[in-house]
Amino acid sequence: MKKLALFSFLISATLPAIEVVAMPGQSPLIQFRFVFRAGAANDPKGKEGTAALTVGLITGGGTKSMTYQQVLDAMYPMASDLERQVDKEMIVFSGSTHIDNLDAYYALVRDALLTPGWREDDLKRVRDNLKNAVRLSLRENNDEELGKELLYSLLYKGHPYGHLSLGNLSSIDALTMADLQAFYQTHLNQANLTIGIAGKYPAGFVERMTKDFAALPKGKPSTVKLPELAPLKTTQVTIVQKKTRAVAYSIGYPIDVTRSHPDFPALLVANTWFGPHRSSGGNLYQRMREIRGLNYGDYSYIEYFPRGMFQFEPDPNLYRRGQIFQIWIRPVEPPTAHFALRLALFELERLIDKGLTESDFEATRDFLALNVNLLMKTKSAELGYAIDSKAYGIPEYTSYLQSALKKLTHEDVQKAIRKHLRKDRLQIVAISDNAEDLKKQFLADAPSPMKYNASKPGDILEEDKLVSTKKLGWKPEQITVVPVESVFQ
Amino acid sequence: MRRLITLALLAAINMLTAAEPRKIFDYPYQQHDFPNGLRLFTVPTDYPNIVALYIVVNVGSRNEVEPGKSGFAHFFEHVMFRGTKKNPPQKWEATMKAAGAATNAFTSDDLTAYHATFSKQGLASILELEADRFQNLEYSESLFRTEALAVNGEYNKNSAAPTSKLNEKMRETAFDAHTYKHTTMGFLADIKAMPDQFAYSREFFDRFYRPEYTSILVVGDINPAEVKALVEKHWGGWQRGKYTAAIPAEPAQKAERKAQVDWQVPTLPWLAVAYKVPAYSDSDKETAALDLISALAFGPTSPAYQRLVLQEQKVDVLAGGAQQRVDPYLFTIYSRVKAEKDVDAIRESIVSTLNGFKDTLIEAKKLDAVKNNLRYQFALSMDNSEAIADALARAVALRRSPETLNRLYALYDQITPEDLRNVARKYFVESGRTVVTLSGPKAK
Repeated sequence: MKKLALFSFLISATLPAIEVVAMPGQSPLIQFRFVFRAGAANDPKGKEGTAALTVGLITGGGTKSMTYQQVLDAMYPMASDLERQVDKEMIVFSGSTHIDNLDAYYALVRDALLTPGWREDDLKRVRDNLKNAVRLSLRENNDEELGKELLYSLLYKGHPYGHLSLGNLSSIDALTMADLQAFYQTHLNQANLTIGIAGKYPAGFVERMTKDFAALPKGKPSTVKLPELAPLKTTQVTIVQKKTRAVAYSIGYPIDVTRSHPDFPALLVANTWFGPHRSSGGNLYQRMREIRGLNYGDYSYIEYFPRGMFQFEPDPNLYRRGQIFQIWIRPVEPPTAHFALRLALFELERLIDKGLTESDFEATRDFLALNVNLLMKTKSAELGYAIDSKAYGIPEYTSYLQSALKKLTHEDVQKAIRKHLRKDRLQIVAISDNAEDLKKQFLADAPSPMKYNASKPGDILEEDKLVSTKKLGWKPEQITVVPVESVFQ
Repeated sequence: MRRLITLALLAAINMLTAAEPRKIFDYPYQQHDFPNGLRLFTVPTDYPNIVALYIVVNVGSRNEVEPGKSGFAHFFEHVMFRGTKKNPPQKWEATMKAAGAATNAFTSDDLTAYHATFSKQGLASILELEADRFQNLEYSESLFRTEALAVNGEYNKNSAAPTSKLNEKMRETAFDAHTYKHTTMGFLADIKAMPDQFAYSREFFDRFYRPEYTSILVVGDINPAEVKALVEKHWGGWQRGKYTAAIPAEPAQKAERKAQVDWQVPTLPWLAVAYKVPAYSDSDKETAALDLISALAFGPTSPAYQRLVLQEQKVDVLAGGAQQRVDPYLFTIYSRVKAEKDVDAIRESIVSTLNGFKDTLIEAKKLDAVKNNLRYQFALSMDNSEAIADALARAVALRRSPETLNRLYALYDQITPEDLRNVARKYFVESGRTVVTLSGPKAK
């Protein structure tokens, strides 16, 4: 109930065109979120990475009046900075500062956003950083995130979501300062902006911000038309050849459900039972890791959740009009790779055929109604969720979800599973050191029996017989091997 | 409850503005020592509805003194989720789920921490549930062997990052006798042998999962008296143990050490330059002085950062410092270098930057900026009950008291430019240095 009361304090000031989500409170820690409804989906064709590089330069470069070094020197004693996040349809600049430093911090943020410095030496460094993020942090040093991002790129081929939000190595190289300035002028405008602020900021502060940010062009909404995706006709498997110890999988397909869709709470319950992020309580985790020791963890998603290996709660402000259902199988030992994939698909089929039991439904529904409070444990997250809720056109998230869960029935969940999830026409991505061998195993479709280092209950051994002989039925044209060097190039 | 809310808020506000003494951890906490050695901290906060429970055991990879047993403290963290007679894993999960809880655990050199964040209605049942597994853990050999495979899976998922290997190599090279020689994950050979260590796992539980090693932290929307009564009821009967690990002392390093890692996948080269430094201390000035040096030498406003990252743009990572450890450990600076040909020069720059502190006294203004940064950084991170509990857990691993934070931050305030010079002269010496480099396959 507390949440509801709090939300009623929100002021949706519409003085100029800029939307504001304000959460005045007693905390001396002031939180800011400057959210623009634009992103990588607005990257011009052939100029993938424009949004990411523009935003990177704004937060990692100087302003008109200060060099980047001067900005760092000013920020440092306050221990504050300006963070960024660039997704398909949202760009976020966020930060926090102690009220002692509010004026000085706000001035730095305002100047960064309103009067960027556009210096070539900053661009050179920020471009290097962005390319290293694609080449090293993603492609070469992080098999799991690589698999997930490649899955999105394959599913959205030819679509505004179809390229990595960071950009491709070659397109990042080709971007010019003029490209970045054009993106800034067109998309970082008042029509796209929502400002979020929380904490014990003084009276008049919100008005001051909206007045300052009226210096941005009025502009138009940057919402791009999202074409219908050509449906997958068969399952497609992409195996990335890369030197690595183990085999990582990502599996998925687009779904029609976002937070705007009436089936979202039902599908969320289903997913939270099947594969909740980094939780030991999920069915997939239990069957694959706890019972069989195949790997470190196994999860599923109905919303984009980047950087999952580093964090437990999702970041807000990753609003998308299109989402996918995704299964994340953490790296498995190569001899068990074939079996592990069969088991993941077996469990997906069981989810679709049987759904949840009545008692699983009730326990998961009740869990979610309480657990949603944890998503809002910081003021910054609460601000982020409030801004997302406006984008999705739903009430404040906690009350929206809690009231939807109250009305939800077991049958609603079973129906949503059958309607939105499927067991065939999947896109599968594997990262493996022995891609050709894995491809051969898939095509041979021979039994892949499990050997354990300990005794297992009879029902598990029986189930293993079914799993290890499960026919995948894939043809050579469904399986593609790609060298890692070619990915995101 | 309202009085407590006001208190906590005032604490947060006063943290940075009040006159001396300025306590960095100024939450109105209570400490209670039970006769069996268990220690309880309760910290009411003004964040509504949520409770963060951290159970900290003062055991980590530092305690793994026997050959072949590296990584065991972390492995045991996994085993702790394998249930008891009364609460098998599924029942444990169901109880946590009923409170809407997010749960996990982590292990480091000096601690193992089990944490749950949940709605306050769940507190009584969760304290009872956790008391059961800490006292009555019971698991079959079959489940134990399966869990060992999950640890192997964890090693596998970490292994794609070159920094994992860089750290492994650094410890292996820098240490001879002390258990800091191995990472918390452990040597790969020991991980592979874990399934066969069932009997040892029972002994490990018997040794370390004892009240005198354990502190319970309850932070959030709580009533301290109620929490104390619940802990008394469920944990009061836990029997004290009698084991202490004899951790071998590391002999003094006599000469500089070097090692190279050949990475199989293309990467930019990495460089780690480390010096042996003393154990964490909140009573003498050395820990505090070293922390300030790392910020002054390589922080985003340092001359080295300005030159190498911003102007010459030869590196894209430059960071590090002394990690706080119970025993003497390392002051390590990491750098990712954009071109292989520059690695030697960057190593030289790091060394000469630290050597510079031996002769040149730092300006008071720069020192003040770092001191402010440290205080505000801490204040800004205290933005929810879980974060407060997490910071407290790390302090408890070192000194079993939040006061160690207050003492350390008080020392930061007292550090003078001369203190920095003294500590630099004492520890940034060639004979205490270890340099590890990592590079990918040579370009074809």
